[in-house]
Amino acid sequence: MHSTLTSRYIDATARSLPAALEQDVREELAASIADAVEARIAQGEDRGTAERAALTELGDPSALAAGYADRSLHLIGPRHYLTWLRLLRTLLLIVPPIAMLGAGVAHAITGASVGEAIGESIAVGLSVIVHLCFWVTLVFVILERTGAETGTTWDVDQLPEERSTGTGRTDVLASLALVAIMLGALAWDLVRGLAVIDGSTVQVLHPDLWPGWTLALAALLLLEAGLAIAIFAQGRWSTTAAIVNTALAVAFVSWALTLLGRGQLLNPELLGSAQASGVDAGTMRILGTILVVSIVGCSAWDAIDGWLKTARDRRR
Amino acid sequence: MNDPLDLHLQELRRGTVVLSCLQLLRTPGYGYGLLEDLERHGFATDANTLYPLLRRLEKQEFLTSEWNTEETRPRKFYRTSAEGERLADILTTEWNALTGAIRSLTDPHPVTDEEN
Repeated sequence: MHSTLTSRYIDATARSLPAALEQDVREELAASIADAVEARIAQGEDRGTAERAALTELGDPSALAAGYADRSLHLIGPRHYLTWLRLLRTLLLIVPPIAMLGAGVAHAITGASVGEAIGESIAVGLSVIVHLCFWVTLVFVILERTGAETGTTWDVDQLPEERSTGTGRTDVLASLALVAIMLGALAWDLVRGLAVIDGSTVQVLHPDLWPGWTLALAALLLLEAGLAIAIFAQGRWSTTAAIVNTALAVAFVSWALTLLGRGQLLNPELLGSAQASGVDAGTMRILGTILVVSIVGCSAWDAIDGWLKTARDRRR
Repeated sequence: MNDPLDLHLQELRRGTVVLSCLQLLRTPGYGYGLLEDLERHGFATDANTLYPLLRRLEKQEFLTSEWNTEETRPRKFYRTSAEGERLADILTTEWNALTGAIRSLTDPHPVTDEEN
């Protein structure tokens, strides 16, 4: 008696229902649709049009089935969404950087080239991100479907501290003091030498760096101080400040890595003495890797920090 | 459909379908017939909202159901249970209280408690 559209609709709705419910829903839905079609025919529609209209009014069979089975039509609902978001955000901030750093350092130490190490660390980072997102979300979807509680409730103690954005007096003084110390150390190293070998002092940095490279570093440090003062004067981080800050960080990284790559950063006398006192090539390689990672890491964080503070100040 | 105005109206009407079903089904009724009754009384409801709702109320034991196979088309008839009637009374009392409360918002002379 049923034409195909109606039986297809009933099938699509009832198929996914629990067996206990399925037959009953089938029969009831068949009667309801037949009633609706007949009411339309009584108003002068032909059977085909009436059937189409009645089914269209009932809407997506999956949505109807979800209604019958009391299933939710979302992946993660409001009960778990914020917990999911906080957890995922925290994990994404912590785990991928550590994994990337670990993978990069491990490859560099075992003798891979810089390019290979970077490539490997990016690949590891991406796969960690995908895995984190997938598994964390899957756990929450299961929690949502089983109606379990995560046991986390919000209370006032979780309110974030009011964060200093690095525009206060203390921050500018700290920046200036740091720059002064660095310049002092640079000058002292140049004139007297900071390292002590067998009772006599030698320079840590390569003697050939004077004057050009040394002055370039001094200029970078002075610009850094100028930036700190400018931000203090403005009272807030701006996009320009963040760009200048990033440019200074990039300039410092290229200054350090260029010299390190050419073997012109550190005093060969110092390295020679280190090798003489039993530091083998493998250890030197590891120390070199750690030095590169620290230089790049600190500068990258400095640049990112500037942008974060800019974004925070924009919201004030 | 997602007009803020429509959303607010929908929000306000949401609970009224349950109450009107419980009241109408004090005399037994079936899906499509109930849909038409609701419409006639001014509670325009979508079929895909009503049918699952009837099952939910039945599962919560506010409705009982029975297949009627005497007519040519077998239909599932729902009827408000004793528990359902109690719920209907509570909801109706609440609705009346809300009506009073809403009136008091704009009424220059505040409503006394016995009026509610």
